[in-house]
Amino acid sequence: MKARLVFVPLAGAVIAGGPAYATVYLSVEQAQALIFPGATFTPDNRTLTDEQAKAIEHASGVAVRNKQLKAWRVSTGGWFLVDEVVGKHEYIPFAVGLDEKGAVKDIEILEYREAYGGQIRDPEWRKQFAGKGPDTKLQLGKNIRNISGATLSSKHITDGVERLLATYAVVLAKAGH
Amino acid sequence: MQLSLQKLVTERAQPRLGTLVSIRVEEMADVEAHHAIDAAFEEIATVHRLMSFHDAASDVSRLNRSCEQPVAVHPYTFEVLDAALKFAASSDGCFDISVGAELVEWGLLPRPADAARAPDGSWRDIELLNDGRVMFHRPLRIDLGGIAKGYAVDRATERLRTFGALQTVVNAGGDIRVQGRAEPIRLSAETATETMPVLELTDGSVASSSGHLLRRWINGEVRGPHVHGARRSAAPTDRFVCVTAERCMVADALTKVVMAEGAESGGVLREFGASGYLYDPKVGWRWL
Repeated sequence: MKARLVFVPLAGAVIAGGPAYATVYLSVEQAQALIFPGATFTPDNRTLTDEQAKAIEHASGVAVRNKQLKAWRVSTGGWFLVDEVVGKHEYIPFAVGLDEKGAVKDIEILEYREAYGGQIRDPEWRKQFAGKGPDTKLQLGKNIRNISGATLSSKHITDGVERLLATYAVVLAKAGH
Repeated sequence: MQLSLQKLVTERAQPRLGTLVSIRVEEMADVEAHHAIDAAFEEIATVHRLMSFHDAASDVSRLNRSCEQPVAVHPYTFEVLDAALKFAASSDGCFDISVGAELVEWGLLPRPADAARAPDGSWRDIELLNDGRVMFHRPLRIDLGGIAKGYAVDRATERLRTFGALQTVVNAGGDIRVQGRAEPIRLSAETATETMPVLELTDGSVASSSGHLLRRWINGEVRGPHVHGARRSAAPTDRFVCVTAERCMVADALTKVVMAEGAESGGVLREFGASGYLYDPKVGWRWL
């Protein structure tokens, strides 16, 4: 094992603004192929009515912020859904595969984006670095994809999955297959 | 996809262990890489199922309901308990998995519905029997939250290796193991400087802890999520701690010792072939 602690100038990265940490894991097509190997997918998007949204919120205890449901029928049975959760500092689109009975088959995160911790989005905190030089490349030759020490909860993702399960029960289960 | 153009990189993330777990495999055809990653996630799911505090059917919950009777557990659970007792002995009980009792009292863990009676023991009341079973000599409430995540990262890494994946990164919410390459890892210490601490890690593991991110008001005082096992009090909340070791389980567990004992924990770290960095706002960075 080798470990070395280095201190990288932060100024340029902060001035650039926007998400400082972004990883694309899978495309929608890749997630489909992983969760339902060999299947074909028919888009079947829905727009939730106010009543449906209310019923979903009641059943899941999670707020429905987006009434557009991205759904695909799976040729081998079940549904493939794409949704996203927006946390305080991050934006996470994810995919859920439901089997023909509406049970979760698999969850895959499609993408993860976050800022350098809470303070970076704070304009006052950013101001102190204004004009401090453009070193965005971090001198390491690549972007940093891993963070240690940030307590990253998956609570809002599991909430998002709960919401989709309720959406299935309220909207999709009745549609049959 | 915005992956590296030069090298084959396959990376996926799933919500596991109460956090996001990402697994990256490099230099491998993506079909094989996905098989390896599937198996590694399975391994993580197994560790979670065995060691969850919340799941009434887990080995941990079955143990927490037991007293003075031998309980059969999965070899993985046995291995983690064995390691936990070694960390406890070396740190004089600073690392103690029986602090689940305090975490429940402080509202950081849910109160199990069917615990036999109030817990009143410590790690010394856990006996590992020669036949692979485990006996509690007093009612205990163990929580493997301070060690199981690192263990899951190790198991996942080993599983990847059985598929021939030798350049890998497994990251369970900041408990990270790197195999076969130098990986830059940002440490999320809240240092009020213009630089960002980055650890370059090759063939090893890192785990970090900061008290402030989870601190909250409990019984009229600010407490972090870490409990000093011997004193049964909360560890300081203004420190950032990072431990590197060959195995992620070691790094994970020892961050709790460094968090509680600060600069005095250097001896324990060396005993397990680990080293660490401690950031204290009053003192700055220290290497342990």
